[in-house]
Amino acid sequence: MMTLIKKLLSFLLKLVLIAVAGTALLFVVYFFNLDMKLTAAMEPLLTWFYDNKVKRDQHL
Amino acid sequence: MKDENRIGTQNLGSLYTNGRVRSRREWRGIVDTAYDFSRWLHNWITMFRVVLVKPRNIKAMFRYRWMASYLAVPMMIDRHTQGLRNEHLRICHEEQDLIVEDVAKLLDKLFRGDRRIGNDREFSSKVVLVDENEMQSVMMGFPTVVPLSREIASTYIPVLLNQRAALHYIDVAQEYGLAGDVCPMPEAEAGVSIDDDAPVLGCCAVQCNTTCDGSLMGNSVISKRLELEDGIPVFQLATPLRHREDDVQEYAAQEIRNAIAFIEEHTGEKWDWTHYFECAKRVNYATKCRLEWLEINRTDYPQVFGSNLALYTETNYMAISGRLKVFEDADRKITALAEKAFKKKRMAANEYRHRAIIWGVQSHYYMDFLVWLLNCWGIVPLTDMLSMVNTRMIAETDTPENREQAIYDIAWLTENMIMRNRTHGGYKVLLDELWEFVEEFNADMVILWEHMSCKALDGMHGMFEEKAREKGIHLVWVSHDLFDPRVISRQGVRDQINSYMRTVMNEEPVDPSLEILNDVESW
Ligand code: SF4
Repeated sequence: MMTLIKKLLSFLLKLVLIAVAGTALLFVVYFFNLDMKLTAAMEPLLTWFYDNKVKRDQHL
Repeated sequence: MKDENRIGTQNLGSLYTNGRVRSRREWRGIVDTAYDFSRWLHNWITMFRVVLVKPRNIKAMFRYRWMASYLAVPMMIDRHTQGLRNEHLRICHEEQDLIVEDVAKLLDKLFRGDRRIGNDREFSSKVVLVDENEMQSVMMGFPTVVPLSREIASTYIPVLLNQRAALHYIDVAQEYGLAGDVCPMPEAEAGVSIDDDAPVLGCCAVQCNTTCDGSLMGNSVISKRLELEDGIPVFQLATPLRHREDDVQEYAAQEIRNAIAFIEEHTGEKWDWTHYFECAKRVNYATKCRLEWLEINRTDYPQVFGSNLALYTETNYMAISGRLKVFEDADRKITALAEKAFKKKRMAANEYRHRAIIWGVQSHYYMDFLVWLLNCWGIVPLTDMLSMVNTRMIAETDTPENREQAIYDIAWLTENMIMRNRTHGGYKVLLDELWEFVEEFNADMVILWEHMSCKALDGMHGMFEEKAREKGIHLVWVSHDLFDPRVISRQGVRDQINSYMRTVMNEEPVDPSLEILNDVESW
């Protein structure tokens, strides 16, 4: 019984630690604007794709 | 009036970089930073849940150029929440987060029905395409029909997100011979159609002669492709421009009857009066809330103002038109927050120096200018022209007389769409009422947007100046070109205020770090 409780507690502790570490990591992404820095880096790639790979029937 | 206890609202300019994005997000104290962080997370989850998990939406990302602008959604919210704390921050998120979800759903629906992407024909057969600048009140009696605006998704929102979003389309339109001095909004919308960059879906479309000759030109280019190539019939809702005159109302009502009959014919759905009056109640509730916010803004402690008032009113009044209950819930929460903040005499910036009415058609590529005005110079934008829309209550109980009245109400709302209700309709709505608002709101300043391609306003320049001089009101002209920052940059917009404040008012900025910013490359 005791080992089961111990296992459960250590599992819960791990869960809490993972949640805290995940939140801390996300907070770093949020605070240092890393999400926007990443999407800004993606923009020229998408523009290249629109300019070179998309076929369009451009006319009035 | 000063509030010295606000955390971290000095040197907001230090967050700017020369590139696309800011160096970091704002520190707002523990509670407000944690709150803002939770809303940031919420918005990313919404975008993943509604848009990014579906392969068809990813396919659309690689098909439509304007989709690249949606990479900047979180930054748009940061721009509008700049310097905000407490209830003002919460009001802003209440609005912006709801708009993010609503736009995410719009994109998802567009790509679901799009013949190139999802090609869900059954869904598409219930879709009615509507203009960007069209009151959706004509859809209030069609609960099972899906009104979608391709222009909101492809031009209106992208320019809010990314100041250069429309440039490619403006250039395409001009390459095909459209004049360069046309308003860049309809020009960009026409450019999207010419560039074959609009989703193709729907059983029919309703276009409205919303605002001006430019807007009619854009619609004609778009409807030609819709009708002749895509086989989508288009109804032209020709609403009178002299909307304050009694003798045009019968004609306006008949146009609404014709539009309803057209939608019924093409969707196979019938107008539902029960649903209409439910929506009408929500329209009235939104009007009541807006009037309450404006009443608070007449006092020394305005609460729902600046872009918190402007962006939300545009969306709720025009694009929602009482059709969605979530916006009624948001109205209730915003009103509760505003009342709470008013009781506590909360301020949205460190210092209030001037009370201003913002008039004219605002620069779309610089919608957060109102936030800048407040943080940099302490000028409080109490209300703006596009938020001063209908204040009349419409019929909301289902009786035989009210069914007849409802048609006139829909016509009235359509005539009084944002922008057209002031840029057209005569001298009284554009000039006289401005000076009435200046008195009612106890304003000492008018910031007058001069959208250089908007002929509706440019002709009145001298008359505005004459009246301002007579009344002793500071009138500051701010020129811009709506969708095109190449003509006048964001700094060019700011410089017009900076030089007035320094030379005429002889003042120093509240936050000098915001006076000159290198944001030419910024989203
Ligand atoms: S801003 Fe002026 S020119 Fe442009 S669509 Fe509106 S009314 Fe027309």
